[in-house]
Amino acid sequence: MFSHLEKTPRTLLVCERSHLDHEDARLGRHVEQHSFNHQLSLLVPGCDRLPAELDAALKGMRSFLLVRDLPLARLLEEDFIDQAVHKGSTYGLSYRTRIDEDNCYALLPNGKLVLSVDKDTYEVLGLEGETIAVPAQASRAIRVDLKDKTMSPGGRGHQRVLKALTEHTPLSCDLLLSQHLPGGEGPALQSLLSNHKLSEHRPRVSSRVMTSLPCPTLATSDLQGERRSCDPQSFLEWLGAVDAGVSFEEDRSGGYLSTYQCPQPQTLVDAAVRCGVSGLLLPEDIYSLVDVLRRSVLEPKLAPWLALTVHGFQDSPVSWGTAEHGFLSGGENFYTLVLFQNLDYWICMATGSHDACPP
Amino acid sequence: MQPAIFERVVVKNSPVYQYMKVSLVLEHVQTKLTAVELKHLITTGLKSLYGEVGAAFPFDLLTFEEDTLTAVLRVYSRGLVRLWSSLTLLGFFQQQRCAFRVLQVSPYLLSLTGNSRDLTLD
Repeated sequence: MFSHLEKTPRTLLVCERSHLDHEDARLGRHVEQHSFNHQLSLLVPGCDRLPAELDAALKGMRSFLLVRDLPLARLLEEDFIDQAVHKGSTYGLSYRTRIDEDNCYALLPNGKLVLSVDKDTYEVLGLEGETIAVPAQASRAIRVDLKDKTMSPGGRGHQRVLKALTEHTPLSCDLLLSQHLPGGEGPALQSLLSNHKLSEHRPRVSSRVMTSLPCPTLATSDLQGERRSCDPQSFLEWLGAVDAGVSFEEDRSGGYLSTYQCPQPQTLVDAAVRCGVSGLLLPEDIYSLVDVLRRSVLEPKLAPWLALTVHGFQDSPVSWGTAEHGFLSGGENFYTLVLFQNLDYWICMATGSHDACPP
Repeated sequence: MQPAIFERVVVKNSPVYQYMKVSLVLEHVQTKLTAVELKHLITTGLKSLYGEVGAAFPFDLLTFEEDTLTAVLRVYSRGLVRLWSSLTLLGFFQQQRCAFRVLQVSPYLLSLTGNSRDLTLD
């Protein structure tokens, strides 16, 4: 009777498994390409406290800047391009802009500036762009490669973009900025943008300990959950339930409120630590965290496995690399990394139903 | 020891469940309600819009915060449109006006726990 109301868009979930030291392992590439990370959630079953090294690594994630009312033309000035774009990796994302309602801007570490603008702004700017494939999001994506030869200050491309951003329609936004400088070279972003209103923020860390937690049983070789593990979607649902604080105790309403249960097969662990960090988190810090997890949890065999979920910004115009991303109704943009004691890993990557497939 | 292998699987399918993060706004802000009352309110709305047969699909109230009246619902994908539309059209709770705000809908519960739109920096 309601068959026309029962269809929903299909989902894409890419799952990979390998070993941390395997030559074909692409974990590093996946983490590196996921530029704009808002939150990470770490779950370590079988522990009631985190090792000191891991705790310090989570609390020591680098701070980020919030620059208020920054004209986008500032990102095209010679000193910014020389010192922030060409040296190191600079990440920038517009703050509190909704990609399905407002214009959103992103500066990728490879020097690409992505402007996701509405139709009117696109026509006034006069720059070349592409239509975004997400329905109910009437916007265009303009991509400017600040490292390209034509974008060197004084070049034809540079003049054109600068004129669009200063004369046609001066665009500005509150911008979240962070930078990774190998070897600690070069000036900090604070000195480059000192004549703008900026504030420095540290990522927020929270943690809690759970007791008597039913955990799904995972077997490293059974990625698809056909024999000894639960399937990836049930596992991700369980992780979401733990993060959301769903109670696994017996429902006092007799099953009226919820029938959700931990997927089978399962084991009961006495304690588990769940830690969250939120802010603008760089892929370099996340990849370093994987090394710390290896040294401090997996090699001493403190837990049979652990799960690290990294959420991207829902309003980021890109997901992995320069792949298009939109919000639609959920803005899914995350990956979950499961690390095992024998250093095997699973990585499950998800984006929205109309976004580009994860790598 | 067996050599490690590289395996890649792309799971491309219609999801079994959809998850909704919703918030209830009441005319009298000080009104409190329990999780059971909220579920009953939503079930009543479903039945009034789609009838007994149309509303005959289960949904779960996974979490409920009494302070903010925010809840996370789990529903079979085939029932999402009916549930969402009945939430949109629900207008009264115990003779006071109310409205449901649908904050986020996703096939992944994990996506509802990492909402960057809640990021607030002073």
